[in-house]
Amino acid sequence: MSSQATARPAQLPTLSGILKALLQADVTVQLRNPRALVLMLLPPLVFLYALSAGKRSTQFGSPMFKVAAALTLGIASIAILGYTATVARDRELGVFQRLRVTPAPTWTIMVSRLAVQILSMLVMTVVVLVVAAIVENVSLDPAAYLLTILVVAFSSAVYLGVGQALVGLISSANTVNAVGRLSFLPLYALGLFGHSDIFGTTFETISRWSPAGAVATLLSGAMNPAVWSSETWWALLASVAYSIVFAGIGIRWFQWSTH
Amino acid sequence: MTATGPAGEHRLALQVQELRVSYGPKVAVDGVSLEITEGEIFGLLGPNGAGKTSTLSAIEGLLRPDSGSIRIGDIDARAHPMAAKARMGVQLQSTSFQSDLTIREIIRLYAALYGVSLGRAGIDDLLANVHLDEEASKRFSQLSGGQQKRLSLLIATIHKPPLVLLDEPTAGLDPQARRQLWDRIERLRDIGRSILLTTHSMEEAQAVCHRVAIIDQGKLLTVDTPAGLIEKHKDDPRVRRVAHGQVTLEDVFIGLTGSELRD
Repeated sequence: MSSQATARPAQLPTLSGILKALLQADVTVQLRNPRALVLMLLPPLVFLYALSAGKRSTQFGSPMFKVAAALTLGIASIAILGYTATVARDRELGVFQRLRVTPAPTWTIMVSRLAVQILSMLVMTVVVLVVAAIVENVSLDPAAYLLTILVVAFSSAVYLGVGQALVGLISSANTVNAVGRLSFLPLYALGLFGHSDIFGTTFETISRWSPAGAVATLLSGAMNPAVWSSETWWALLASVAYSIVFAGIGIRWFQWSTH
Repeated sequence: MTATGPAGEHRLALQVQELRVSYGPKVAVDGVSLEITEGEIFGLLGPNGAGKTSTLSAIEGLLRPDSGSIRIGDIDARAHPMAAKARMGVQLQSTSFQSDLTIREIIRLYAALYGVSLGRAGIDDLLANVHLDEEASKRFSQLSGGQQKRLSLLIATIHKPPLVLLDEPTAGLDPQARRQLWDRIERLRDIGRSILLTTHSMEEAQAVCHRVAIIDQGKLLTVDTPAGLIEKHKDDPRVRRVAHGQVTLEDVFIGLTGSELRD
């Protein structure tokens, strides 16, 4: 066969075209996944309501902190339960390997996934803040609103890092789901008492500097910039450190295939 | 053993030289060299664990070889993986797509990833060509095995790549679906595509491949046309021992790779 009959060499796709296609597909998948939608909204809203309606609700801290704790729960459930489940499932099915044989750089595949999770967190934040305004009478001025959204996007790195570490260290989708569920509550609950001395001051300190505690402190500072203090800056630093450690573990040991 | 392509004016679609892949201490591909010319269908035969999929995975860029060179046309695939992937179409052994996307959405996604712009009508035309037009709104998991393979092949060739890599393309298909897929593979060859496929089926190798290489324990043992392989090895005592009457390609395969079960 002569070379005249060969196919026209394919052109390289543009990076923006690749990212747009991946994002479009990942957003569609997210919107069609009822589990993802439930995990996005239900836990923080139920938690916010429970925390506000309880008889000892004042012992958990200020209304700002309760809203921050609800936002932290939302971020954690999206990242640790939702993100890990979809990544582990798609890895087991071979979806990532199929994507990796296309010209799409591997980082675009993961960036698109992470971007959709961050988008979910931002939507959750808006919904929680609206509900908080009704339930807790917490209303933010535009600057605080903007800062909160920025801090949510930033804080997502902590929990997406934890999620990445889970799917990096564990290959089986079933085990990822089980470990995600088991680790989610202790990891989150530890941070819940960062502004409460119900279990004593030592536990309060540990709780305050746990991943969830640092994120909650950061969020309550963002919602009320007037009280942003050195402790908030330390919480920011702690969040950066947690993000680097967890994401580092997750990236270092992540495998694209379970086969 | 080097699988050098037929001579002369034919240009090379794929050139692999001294490829070596290992997983820790285990060497999966040990110095494999092969060349595929434009318009050629080349079959890689081997028992389980022989190194077929590892060879393909290295060419596809899914794993990093320890050493060796891979050229797709005139592109160094190790130095320019994106450009190489744009010139390759790949059907993996076990393929799956995003479970919540419809077939139409999957095609739109992969077309875009290869830089191909397709409207709804274009997608529907492609689906009609592979008799999947009525399945456009279904999910991948709702297709039969044969339909899944047809869709995978359609996506592998959506960007009209000069080189197509097929990893056990007909595994698990019934005879009708297998014949249909052979026809599609031959049609790809007829329009100038070069194809590297792995298979366990001697019938498939004889039916569609111009040349066949037998690989075992990471090494290429022999390469020739199916008829040439039989001619070359028909008097080999290992082959004679397993042959029942006239020597077949399967006798050559078993004779060279042994009769032990592989996992």
